[in-house]
Amino acid sequence: MEPTALAFLAAGIGAGIVAIGAGVGIGRLAAAAMEGSARQPEASGDIRTSMIIAAALIEGVALFGLLICFFLAFK
Amino acid sequence: MGNPTVFSYSTWWRVGLWCAAILWNLGPRPGLAAEEGDENISEVLIHHTVDGYYIALEPIATIELPRLFLLRTAEGSWRLDAFGSTASALHSGRYVANYEGHRYTAADELEELIATHRHLYAELYPRDGELVLDLSITRHYVFGLLSALLVAGFFIPVARRYRKGTGRTTAPRGIWQNLAEVFIVFVRDEIARPNIGEKADRFLPYLLTAFFFILFSNLLGLIPNLGAATSNLAVTGVLALFTFVIGTIYASKDHWRHIFWPPGVPVFVKPILIPVEIMGLFTRHAALAIRLFANMSAGTLIILSLIGMIFIIHALFGALAAWLSTLPSVLLTLFISAIKLLVAFIQAYVFTLLSALFIGMSVAEHAHEHAEHEEEGAAPVVHAVPTAGETRTVLP
Repeated sequence: MEPTALAFLAAGIGAGIVAIGAGVGIGRLAAAAMEGSARQPEASGDIRTSMIIAAALIEGVALFGLLICFFLAFK
Repeated sequence: MGNPTVFSYSTWWRVGLWCAAILWNLGPRPGLAAEEGDENISEVLIHHTVDGYYIALEPIATIELPRLFLLRTAEGSWRLDAFGSTASALHSGRYVANYEGHRYTAADELEELIATHRHLYAELYPRDGELVLDLSITRHYVFGLLSALLVAGFFIPVARRYRKGTGRTTAPRGIWQNLAEVFIVFVRDEIARPNIGEKADRFLPYLLTAFFFILFSNLLGLIPNLGAATSNLAVTGVLALFTFVIGTIYASKDHWRHIFWPPGVPVFVKPILIPVEIMGLFTRHAALAIRLFANMSAGTLIILSLIGMIFIIHALFGALAAWLSTLPSVLLTLFISAIKLLVAFIQAYVFTLLSALFIGMSVAEHAHEHAEHEEEGAAPVVHAVPTAGETRTVLP
């Protein structure tokens, strides 16, 4: 297969795996946050803040991977 | 209350605002349609996301931006060329265009290039001499400037108000002052003080500037034809560079000691840990830049792609399927736009938070008897930012 076709294929598969990774990670984070809020509703504000920060960081990592997929697909 | 009416004046206002917002978002679609006629849709999407030498206010106009070139002529002297637009640069005859690998040198070729509007995507090179720097005004530069002007225009009057005393000796008055105070107090109390500790107020100007510039830039990027300056790696890179420079200038000696001679670690691990720490210093800040850049440009790309889906379906399945897919596509775009609005705020918050965290980590000073305390197992030293192995305790 030519390198361009392989690059596109790799970009597609890579983006899929990135999405899976981000989804699983943030899903577990949200689950833990829900459980913590359920146990102690007074702390739900702090939990929400920490959850958003952690979600942004995890998404940052996911977007690094996505960036590489973009480079593969368009260069 | 008396007789409750179903439709009051305020309800009409709200309905009107919703309709206006939806139409505002849908406005540029005919513009996208017009552009898609010439090239395939993915190129259009990319050209709208990345930086460009024009502002597309389709279907009204395409504003070409001025081009500035710093060249070195064949004799070896430097020259700065300025043109009002790409077309005029090509008309002057001093430049050749390089578009998709093909060099357009003759005047009639250039005319043809301009006529099909593809000259905006070409790279320009001087006919004789070499190009040192392309200092052209680009789209992201214009919107970054606009965002900076908005921040200055919003906050300088508010600051003047505070200097006159309203808000310090008396309660803040007016919408803008109260709004600004909400955000500024939020940044000071939730971001700066918990992470930097006592010296927070020194870095507050930088953190506030970064927060509001990023916020305004992100929000400008959500407006249909404008773009986000922060969706450019150069802009976010410079912001991260500022954080890095501030962290380096104001670093305490303990910071350098922690990097180059990590305490509390057995000696044979140190050669591994020291390069990791040094690299970590740079990757942390690079991650800051990339995170913001990727979030913003991915957001623009997704919104444009969802609308472009209509055109892709049109190309693949014909006109009827395209008309059918219009409504779900538009609804999906509205939904994603709402999410991107949230992401705009969150990314500004996260950038500022991590900047504060990094600055706090470099500014933090520990008591010099730190090492002995650890070994003797004396009362634990409470740090503003917890070192590894400590849990965060609440400072009195």
